[in-house]
Amino acid sequence: MKKALLSGQKIEKSFGENKVLNGIDIDIYPEDFTVIMGASGSGKSTLLYMLSGMDKVSSGKISYKENDITSASEKEMTRLRADDFGFVFQRTHLVSNLTLYENIVLAGYISGKITEEESVSRANELIEKMNLKDSSTRLPSAVSGGEAQRAAVARAVISKPELLFADEPTGALNKSNTDEVLNLFTDLNSHGQTILLVTHDKEAALRGNRILYIEDGAVIGELSLEPYQGRNKQREDKLSEWLESLRW
Amino acid sequence: MVGVIKMVRMKKYKLLITSSVKKQKSSIICILLLMLMVGLCMFSSVILITSGEKSVSGEMDRLGFGDFTTWVSGFDEQLSDEIRLIPEVEQVEVQPLVFAGYEIAGSYSDNEGQLIVYDGTVPYKFISEDGSEEKIPEIKSGEIYISPAMKSSFDVDIGSTINFELSRKNGIKSFTVAGYFEDAFMGSSMIDMKSFLVSQEDLNECIFIVFSSAEYDVLGKAGAMLHVFKQTDSPLSESEFQRLVYTESSLSKYTEFSYGKESILSYMLLLQNILTGFLLAFSVILLIICLIVIAHSLSAVIEQNKKDMAILKTMGLPGSNIRMIYIFLYGGTVVLGLIAGFAISLIVSETLAGGLITSTGLLIGVDCPYGLTAIIFIGLIMISAAFIYLRTYGIIRITPMQTIQNNSSAVLVKSPIVKKSLSFSLAVREIMSGKKKYAGVCLISAVLVLFLSIVGKMGTWLGANGEGLMNAFSVAEHDLGVQPFNDTVPMDEVERVINWYSPVSETYELAMQSVTLNGQEYTANVLDETKYFHVLEGNVCGDSEILITHTVANEQGLSIGDMVEIAASGRTKQYVVSGIYQCANGMGTNIGMSIGGYSKIGNINAYIWCHHYILENGDMRDFAMEYLQNSYRGIDVHTNSWSGLSGIVLVMHILILIIYIITAVFILISVYLTATRLLQSETGNMAIYKSLGLSASELRLSFSLRFLITVVIGSLAGMILSVIFSDSLIGAVFRSFGIGSVSSGFGFLGSVLPVIATAFLFFGFAWLSSAKIKQVSLVELINENED
Repeated sequence: MKKALLSGQKIEKSFGENKVLNGIDIDIYPEDFTVIMGASGSGKSTLLYMLSGMDKVSSGKISYKENDITSASEKEMTRLRADDFGFVFQRTHLVSNLTLYENIVLAGYISGKITEEESVSRANELIEKMNLKDSSTRLPSAVSGGEAQRAAVARAVISKPELLFADEPTGALNKSNTDEVLNLFTDLNSHGQTILLVTHDKEAALRGNRILYIEDGAVIGELSLEPYQGRNKQREDKLSEWLESLRW
Repeated sequence: MVGVIKMVRMKKYKLLITSSVKKQKSSIICILLLMLMVGLCMFSSVILITSGEKSVSGEMDRLGFGDFTTWVSGFDEQLSDEIRLIPEVEQVEVQPLVFAGYEIAGSYSDNEGQLIVYDGTVPYKFISEDGSEEKIPEIKSGEIYISPAMKSSFDVDIGSTINFELSRKNGIKSFTVAGYFEDAFMGSSMIDMKSFLVSQEDLNECIFIVFSSAEYDVLGKAGAMLHVFKQTDSPLSESEFQRLVYTESSLSKYTEFSYGKESILSYMLLLQNILTGFLLAFSVILLIICLIVIAHSLSAVIEQNKKDMAILKTMGLPGSNIRMIYIFLYGGTVVLGLIAGFAISLIVSETLAGGLITSTGLLIGVDCPYGLTAIIFIGLIMISAAFIYLRTYGIIRITPMQTIQNNSSAVLVKSPIVKKSLSFSLAVREIMSGKKKYAGVCLISAVLVLFLSIVGKMGTWLGANGEGLMNAFSVAEHDLGVQPFNDTVPMDEVERVINWYSPVSETYELAMQSVTLNGQEYTANVLDETKYFHVLEGNVCGDSEILITHTVANEQGLSIGDMVEIAASGRTKQYVVSGIYQCANGMGTNIGMSIGGYSKIGNINAYIWCHHYILENGDMRDFAMEYLQNSYRGIDVHTNSWSGLSGIVLVMHILILIIYIITAVFILISVYLTATRLLQSETGNMAIYKSLGLSASELRLSFSLRFLITVVIGSLAGMILSVIFSDSLIGAVFRSFGIGSVSSGFGFLGSVLPVIATAFLFFGFAWLSSAKIKQVSLVELINENED
């Protein structure tokens, strides 16, 4: 049995009187492509923020590699973000006055895991791989949404994080850019990258091998799929049926 | 204006203004505080300058000072009659007095004091110990009233004893200090000679001692102040009038010294004008900084609220009205700040006037010049309003389209991001891509360093013990001066004593004699070695030449090479002006001559010379002086200093300290405001950096480094400007006080320290202000519409 890379026990989160997460238990396993789905307002993004330490839980416990990080200090969380966690957001959140290349290489510089030279070579490698060569010297405001999001993904993985958190990464992209970004996620996962993705897009969810469904702050369903190997009608139907059973 | 008032009365604008006030609370409070300090410094200095001038001028009129006043000794009654006969003279008032040296608790005066009778005819103003005016006392025999400035120069207090040396044989007259009075001519610490009020009975006794003593024993002199008034319809200027009286009477034969009303006024107000002048200049600097801060704040507010403004425009609100809201908000803050500053300045100027009394000797009745302050107030508001109006022009250019646009203002710049110095390289990148945002900080630091450098250089020039003033007010550099009054003084022995304390490195002789230059009374500083004169322009004088000060050059319209007529003891000769030299004595109303030059017109004898010594170890001068004063009679021993100097130096140092403190507070507020605005616009970026693994400390360091880098650039510019201009700027100000040249050079205190201090303060305050970065949460990055 695989050991969980990240696990949450009885996670609760309230905003004033409003309880968003209702005692969720969840495990994220290494090399999995876990997708959390749910309708708008279900608490799926909130769960991601709790698990990634971006926000504090109201109660419950979160462990990373069996270490309790629920009440980790800011210093410990900073180290985790620099070395072990990568983030991709719906909005690209690139630093506006750094070029795409600089945005990517900066994350490598911040990380203690790779040297300056490694950061540079890996940034160049990722730029090549993500088809950003022409736009790498431009500012985020001067490139397309797809290019910016690909750069954001490259930035998130430059230091080879243990776990990549993605919050609706295709939410603001058109069809072709969405496919490009999702292909990147699939490719990364096929090379062993653990991914936790939050989405309400069925296309994005299809890329995962483990799908969790959240409603009213609780996990109400889980679906396991084979690793994604390309578009597959059977896989799509299975996901659709499962979602329909959950009144999606 | 009426339109603005009408507008703000409307409900919708009230709503918008209220919400803007809430949103920009910290900016408004900071600008209010900054303007308060501008108003406080500016109005306080204006009130003190005008009140001081009015007060002294009024007092001199009240006390019966003429258009010029001459101190005479050995005169007879005919002199005043002779002067009265000159057609341009309206009146001559004679005030009898006795000149004599004095001693207080072992300290000897460098100059003679003048004992004046107080019988109620001249309405002197008496001052209580707490500095307020007190009722006119009756001066009893044995009592003496002194200038409060003596408190700081002699540490004298009520109950202290003052001994006047009138004659060597039983000629010491002792008085007990009974209180203080305002000495409208000699009260200032800048003037070593002091007036003392005594009873008629005591003055008569003093005159008797002087007249009954043998010629070789007498030390005091009986004399008078002659207040000479010109006809009210006389077209003559003050100097022309003086020249006329000296030419047409024998006044010069009896004159000890003579001053015009304007000279007395300038001398009395010298110290106060230096202090308040600096405060006024400082307030102008603060105003410039304030405008820069307002400009930055407005730019940031407009940038941050662009979307909201665009929305308001889509709702039909004209850009000009939105602009008016900001003009009202910021303009109103400026007005409130200035009003508060003015109100506080009324109290502060009273306190300052009271605080200065022991140095200036003046009981300045603080009288706010409402007309002038109203003009300044309106001027300040108009400058600020015009500035705010121009800076809010950007609001007009915002289009409704900007509600849906999200244009980044970032620009592509080349500056490497380096792992080893990540915080620094990120700071450089932020500065490079947001130049405009940092230009204000750069400018503020340049202006501040320039001013602080000027202040620092002033401090350096002034020296720990007032060496700058000592040199400026002395004819030539010296540590000790010894003047024998008769043949009995064994000068060889005196010199052996001095050598015992410290070897003498140089020695020369100086005589200060009264002469007229083109008919006007001046002091001639005669040196046996003219190389010791502080020559600023031209050459030292030969036997047919003289040196003049800038003051004399301006008064007489003279320049180097001009021919002048010098007269003394009834003889007149022509001399050529060979150069300009520095000696601020008598507000610069003096000339320099060689011994050969003076001997052509004046009487040379052994008693006119003061022997000056420059010691190898100058620290020993006070010990040598004390020994000589206590051991030998018939000599005057003095150093390069004067009794009131320590008080002046103290006040100057306090002023410099106050300027430093206000500067630090100003930097704190400016940095807080700028940093808050920057952080508000960068919260998102800070969250991104945090999500990448940069710690709050690293981000704070990088943020503070932006200020440090910008300030170092600005400060260096300020330092260069200071090196180029500060000496001439200070010189230009001081020249009006008779101090011809101020040269401080490139020193640590005046040049380097302001840069380090400014950079350190900006960096430190930026670090403190950036504490908010710790609170930046990664939740900032969460989708707005998410669950």
